[in-house]
Amino acid sequence: MSAGIVDVATAKPGRTVTNDDFASIGLTDEWIRRRSGIASRSWLPDGMPLTDVAAEACAPIVTRLPDPSSIGALVVVSTSVRQRVPGIAQQVARQAGLDSAVLAFDMNAACCGFVYGLVAGLSLCESGQARSVLVCSVEAMSRLVDRTDRQTACIFADGAAAVLLEDRAPFAPFRQVAGCDGSQEALMRETGEGGIHLDGMQVYDRAVRRMSESAQYLFDHGPAPTVLVGHQANGRILEQVRGFTTHLGVPFVNRIEHSGNTSSASIPLAFAEELDSGSLPASGRLGAVAYGAGEAWGGVAVDYRVPGTAAR
Amino acid sequence: MSDIESRITDTMLAKLRERDPALGPEDLTRPVADLDLDSLDLVELHQQLERELQVKGDLQETAAFAFLDDFSSYFVKLANGQ
Repeated sequence: MSAGIVDVATAKPGRTVTNDDFASIGLTDEWIRRRSGIASRSWLPDGMPLTDVAAEACAPIVTRLPDPSSIGALVVVSTSVRQRVPGIAQQVARQAGLDSAVLAFDMNAACCGFVYGLVAGLSLCESGQARSVLVCSVEAMSRLVDRTDRQTACIFADGAAAVLLEDRAPFAPFRQVAGCDGSQEALMRETGEGGIHLDGMQVYDRAVRRMSESAQYLFDHGPAPTVLVGHQANGRILEQVRGFTTHLGVPFVNRIEHSGNTSSASIPLAFAEELDSGSLPASGRLGAVAYGAGEAWGGVAVDYRVPGTAAR
Repeated sequence: MSDIESRITDTMLAKLRERDPALGPEDLTRPVADLDLDSLDLVELHQQLERELQVKGDLQETAAFAFLDDFSSYFVKLANGQ
């Protein structure tokens, strides 16, 4: 049994926020680009429920399936959802048109959430517990940040993306690596006043190291990925990881310029955009690596074969 | 200049020239605050020197350096096992 990604869809229903929109807090386009590589990002309307956004990403995948009841599990990953009870996965399942016989649950691992959600979903598929699994990351980071904070307001963004996992004969087994260090929790955390505290230099240093090490691990164990997609944290981090993984000889994706940091949604959004632009072939092996609050880090190598853009 | 010092100089110059291609070896003695380097540049320089010399430094220490020369002497010591 070897599972992989067989479909992908995204939703970015928010408004485009340009760097010029941060002039009111004293930031310039030049400064933001240099500091982060970001030119614009999408922010959701304040009142839009995250369930709607997640369902918008999941529904096309469900619709394209000949038998939607084959989806046995739905993992909804989010670090920015404010609703605790009930979780949102069950509502997303209903709105996306899933059968009621679905194991639906929420997951939060900050910016590592998609990698961890993939591992959970792939494990369910490969163990035979579910024929198909949907993994959806949905984030509204613009609601977590202090919009007057010059360090973080321009970095974070909103959006959702979903992937469908299935067991298929040609796929090689997935491979994962992960770790955590709770002693580093102060590096990135919500502040009591509303907003996110980031220890910029330490986070930069540790993110580059952890993502580079995770990528190396995936290449040293099992079939090598044909493309690397890192958590789209910051363009400077991505370019440094690209430099440290050049010897691996595969493309390293940097799609942050018009996306910003969408936390757990950043990897599937960047992956989908690469596929849609034709920068990636419709089949290959994805190496996804992430680092985030906790601290938590990890990577997963997984085969993919997705329909062409026209079919999606 | 030793081989280690030469490699450190080359790495630091490469980082400076990302910001201003006109900068030269004489600029390596200037205060960090006088150069067009931000805090992330200093992390990148730290990591690139670690990689070049195959050593592990302490970012909290190097982040406080006021002069690029401080990077040089710090990493020379590390590379020499001191």
